[in-house]
Amino acid sequence: MRTQVPNILGVMILIFFAAFPFVYSAGNYDYVMHILIIGFFYAIMASSWSMLAGYAGQFSFGHMGFMGIGSYTTALLLHYVHFSPEPTKLCTEFQFGETWMIFVNPIGVTSTSLTQDCLRQAMQIWDGSVAVTDVPVWFGVILGTLLGGLAGFLIGLLVLRLRAAYLALFTLGFAEIIKATISAEIHITRGQAGMETPALFENGVTLFGQVYSRTDKLPPYFVFFFALLFCLAILTWLSRSKFGLFVRALREDQDAAAALGVNTTRYKIMVFVVTTSMAGLAGALQAHYVGIVTPNALFLLQMSLVVAMAVIGGVENFVAAALGAIIIQVLLELLRTQIEIGPIVIDMTVWRLVIFGVLLMVTLRFTSNGLIAPIIDYFYRGHIGKETVAKRAKPTNEAEAN
Amino acid sequence: MFWGAILWMVVWGVIGSIAIRRRYLHRDLDTSNANIVGAFVGAGTGPVGVLFLWLRTPVLTVHYIALPAIITMGVFMFVFATSDPNNICVTNGTFVASQVVNGLVIGIIYGFMALGLTLIFSILGIVSFAHGEFYMIGGMLVYYITVVWFPGLNPVLGVLGACIITFSLGAAFERAFLTPMYDGRVARPVEYGILVTFGLAFTLQYFVQAVAGANPVKARRFLDFPRLRLPSDDDPWLLKSSRGSLELFESVTISSPRLTAAVTCILVLIALLYFLHRTWTGKALRAVSLDRDAAAIAGINPDRMNMLAFALGGMIAAMAGALLVQAFSWLPQVGAIPAMRSFVIVVLGGLGSLPGAFIGGIFVGLVEAAGTGCVPDPQKAASYIPAYGMLVLTLTLLLRPTGLLGRRFSSATHGQN
Amino acid sequence: MKKFGLFASACAFAMAVSAGGVNAADCVHKIGGIAPLSAPGTVVGGEAMRDAMLIAEKDINAAGGVLGCDVKIVIADSEGLPEKAKAIMEKLITQDGVVAVGGGYHSSVGVAAKDVANARKIPTVFAETWNDTITGDKQKYIFRIAPLSSWASATIWRYALTIDSVKKVAILTENTDYGIPAAKETTKGLEGGGKEVVTFSVDIGTQDYAGIIQRIKASKPDMIITLATGEAGYNFTQQAADAGIGPLDVVFVTGQVSLESKAYWENVPDGNRAFVQRIGLPESGFSARGKAFAKVYKAKTGKKAVESYAMEAYDSVAILAQAINEAKSTDGDAIVKALESITYNGTLGKIFFPYGTGKDPSADGKPDSWWHQWPDVALTMIQYQKEGESSGNATIVYPDVYKTGEPIINK
Repeated sequence: MRTQVPNILGVMILIFFAAFPFVYSAGNYDYVMHILIIGFFYAIMASSWSMLAGYAGQFSFGHMGFMGIGSYTTALLLHYVHFSPEPTKLCTEFQFGETWMIFVNPIGVTSTSLTQDCLRQAMQIWDGSVAVTDVPVWFGVILGTLLGGLAGFLIGLLVLRLRAAYLALFTLGFAEIIKATISAEIHITRGQAGMETPALFENGVTLFGQVYSRTDKLPPYFVFFFALLFCLAILTWLSRSKFGLFVRALREDQDAAAALGVNTTRYKIMVFVVTTSMAGLAGALQAHYVGIVTPNALFLLQMSLVVAMAVIGGVENFVAAALGAIIIQVLLELLRTQIEIGPIVIDMTVWRLVIFGVLLMVTLRFTSNGLIAPIIDYFYRGHIGKETVAKRAKPTNEAEAN
Repeated sequence: MFWGAILWMVVWGVIGSIAIRRRYLHRDLDTSNANIVGAFVGAGTGPVGVLFLWLRTPVLTVHYIALPAIITMGVFMFVFATSDPNNICVTNGTFVASQVVNGLVIGIIYGFMALGLTLIFSILGIVSFAHGEFYMIGGMLVYYITVVWFPGLNPVLGVLGACIITFSLGAAFERAFLTPMYDGRVARPVEYGILVTFGLAFTLQYFVQAVAGANPVKARRFLDFPRLRLPSDDDPWLLKSSRGSLELFESVTISSPRLTAAVTCILVLIALLYFLHRTWTGKALRAVSLDRDAAAIAGINPDRMNMLAFALGGMIAAMAGALLVQAFSWLPQVGAIPAMRSFVIVVLGGLGSLPGAFIGGIFVGLVEAAGTGCVPDPQKAASYIPAYGMLVLTLTLLLRPTGLLGRRFSSATHGQN
Repeated sequence: MKKFGLFASACAFAMAVSAGGVNAADCVHKIGGIAPLSAPGTVVGGEAMRDAMLIAEKDINAAGGVLGCDVKIVIADSEGLPEKAKAIMEKLITQDGVVAVGGGYHSSVGVAAKDVANARKIPTVFAETWNDTITGDKQKYIFRIAPLSSWASATIWRYALTIDSVKKVAILTENTDYGIPAAKETTKGLEGGGKEVVTFSVDIGTQDYAGIIQRIKASKPDMIITLATGEAGYNFTQQAADAGIGPLDVVFVTGQVSLESKAYWENVPDGNRAFVQRIGLPESGFSARGKAFAKVYKAKTGKKAVESYAMEAYDSVAILAQAINEAKSTDGDAIVKALESITYNGTLGKIFFPYGTGKDPSADGKPDSWWHQWPDVALTMIQYQKEGESSGNATIVYPDVYKTGEPIINK
């Protein structure tokens, strides 16, 4: 019976999040929804990272780099490629039957008084007589996911021989190169100015007979919610299959795993591809939700947030990592206030991150697997590989040697 | 033309690196250097050298790395010069000299900072992700000591104060948070070390931001130069100095803050070498880094050495910051870029190698100077500064993960197999 | 300094709250105030704007508040990031329930936030966001009292054209949507006047400029123009001085941040003779309201001079308060209507918006960017001529109308 408690709780949490947008109706509805949407975004990041780092032991600090690839893929695609029934005669364009595929020329960062790109010039000439269509958002999101996974595949290949500290440094370097490139190639990526992206549902959407406009929060809420569930489902399925077992074997002792006939190369690359596609997906969705992508999203600080969320939740349990991410995101927003203790006013906006950092260190120091995962474990020990628990219970001599 | 040549070099580098390693593996020879030699020979000499290696498979000594590396560099420079003959790096010797001096001076400081990181790694086996924050705190402390708390205090005392405080901070942190690593209380100590120092970095950065605010601050120049004109007042071709800077041979300028910082770094480095090689504690530190168990048998307490190494490593970073706060405006987030650079340097020099860190620092300083100075498009040259170092990091990890002077660690948990 | 600022703002906050009793305490109208209060935003600027907006809150309430109620300025931290800007605009409108928004420092923040405000029909008066597109998009609810980026650049390049000894100009710009278009416009203007121009751009957050300075030096410019926000202005100027091409060696226009004279002299000890662009009149020419504000502001912050962005921030919320009173409603459309016909005597002078829904800029042959734009911004060039001098006392060297002294030009 006790093992059923987390399942029941899990279903309750699911129902709560599924029903929340319909039940909640306070004046700050949009704001609360926004926080939860961003919470889901971080939950996807944290849970996929915990699969990579916690399960497979691949301590990658480049997760934000893959996210950036996802968001910039879709942003660039939607910005530069368009379809039109008429040729613009100004842009690079190709004819496919009745439609023209138009590649907009990059003009970099400029102001309206200086230059305009070829499509805008053409549209001025047409003066509304020709309907130009964008690449659909879903296509950009899928492409972003795929490219995130492809980048993960390549990086996975490169880091096959690296472990622990070297891997952490290499992936950190990868994320930095991506960020530097985006910031420097202003001509194409608009650098720090960022690229504007269409909303997830640019023309609104109708759900169950209700019409939602592009700024309504409910449709993106469910998009992110289902994306998170989808990712968690895949992760759960993987972790319970042979894949999960092998991947954990990688973490515990790569050489022994290889000696026992586990194809370590294959599983290492697979875990990279799966988790980085999820990062790419999260990035692409977020790009369309926020409406602008900038290289700042790739700052190390953002990566620290994901790491901290996963660690505080429980780095070896992706459900706990996801929950940790949502809870911490909400807490961080709640703490954006000023506290008054008598005459002293403390601006929590800065201090909340200090508290958060201390919490991260203390969590690491005193619990081996975060704050939420132990609760789940308590009820649910059976499914968290027994060998892990056994190994931790008895410190080995190897560990001492380090 | 330029990109064509580069492509040619990269393709042959990749072919060389893979083919030569295969060949050596096939012949059952030592492959530890095959990758890097193959890559350099391929990039530098194209198919000719690769074929030679393929047929002869000589024992790959250091010469086989150095010579092709120099040839590759030469070929690269030649290609660069011929494809862009009007580039400022080709036409203007004075400019090149000033960039080289610049790279050297800042490289010494980078190398010094990286030394702390590599010291921590060689004893504790972890990469401290809080290294940049120690750097930032060192600078902040000097500002607070010499400008806010005791205005007009001698900067030497300020630097000393910063060193003492950061040393204690490092020691306290090690006692409180790193001790579980040693007795197996955490399952995977290397990852634990990374994460917990990551947490420290996060906490320190926001703590300083909350306390000090985010206004840029700066300490006064430690040293004002006297006004000098050598050899004579009318024609000072040898040396010309003003308060804040020094001009040599009418071409190379070094600013006072950078010069004092670099000179201090060299002096402290010498003191550090003396400490490590001539004192009991220093020798004990080195002994622990070589073989922990053997050192323990010899009566050295490895736990105490852990504390000393972490505190000392943090203090070195703080000192670099303390010396540079007179050159740069200081903010709570200034640590990020130097930390990243230190990572590059220690990997390049070889994690755990002290001389490697110093040489690596100078190398990275020069690469950044070359990148900033020679990339033709001035709109992009400086924007890519962080990427130049990362490129070095990537290449090192791919070709020679042990770095220039690195050694292999017996235990696989340290990093690579 | 920051501590004092915090304390001061806390006091102001407490006083504002306790002063609530003057008007009807049970009703409050909220106006949002956007300012960058943490990095990577320009915190120096953000804190000045926050302080100014809180002074405005006190002044408005002392003068009777809006519609018989107290006004409360809700400060929101943009962090200088466009994605944050969208989020906080959303928060201000839906969480805090503001009826209008003022402030705004970074252009990228303005560009990103304006769409949210416009879609939600919340009138917004931007204080210090210069990018032309902000008004150029002709959105109904978006106003601006800062100069257009093209006007601001024009002051610098027009001034450069008056110096005959300048033949070659080097521009250092940050790669943002403030820096890049500003550099392009400045280049266009300078080249039109027969000067040679070369542009170098850097990432924001760069600390070490030594390499790029050597490159600038090798191109042998007679004049250097810094188009960078934040501490980049300090770092670059001092390091250029160290390399022998600083304000004491060439004609050197440093970044906007240098108007904060106390921090400027601490960070750039060799920064004498630097030129800075300033918005607004010299302190002697301030309006009565400007003078009163300057006194309170200096007392509150301990600063020696009032930065232009502080005055803009003050005016951006004060003009909204007046517009709400004139509209006799907090409805967005009514406030826009009031703003379009407003004449507000602020700290910067008489503020009004000649073009908008009533009269399109094209009717007078003006570009779209004049939409909802205050046309009378006073733009001047000042020069620090004494070490440690406050920017309020520095010599105004351009344009001739405001000139208070001759520039010292380095040969």
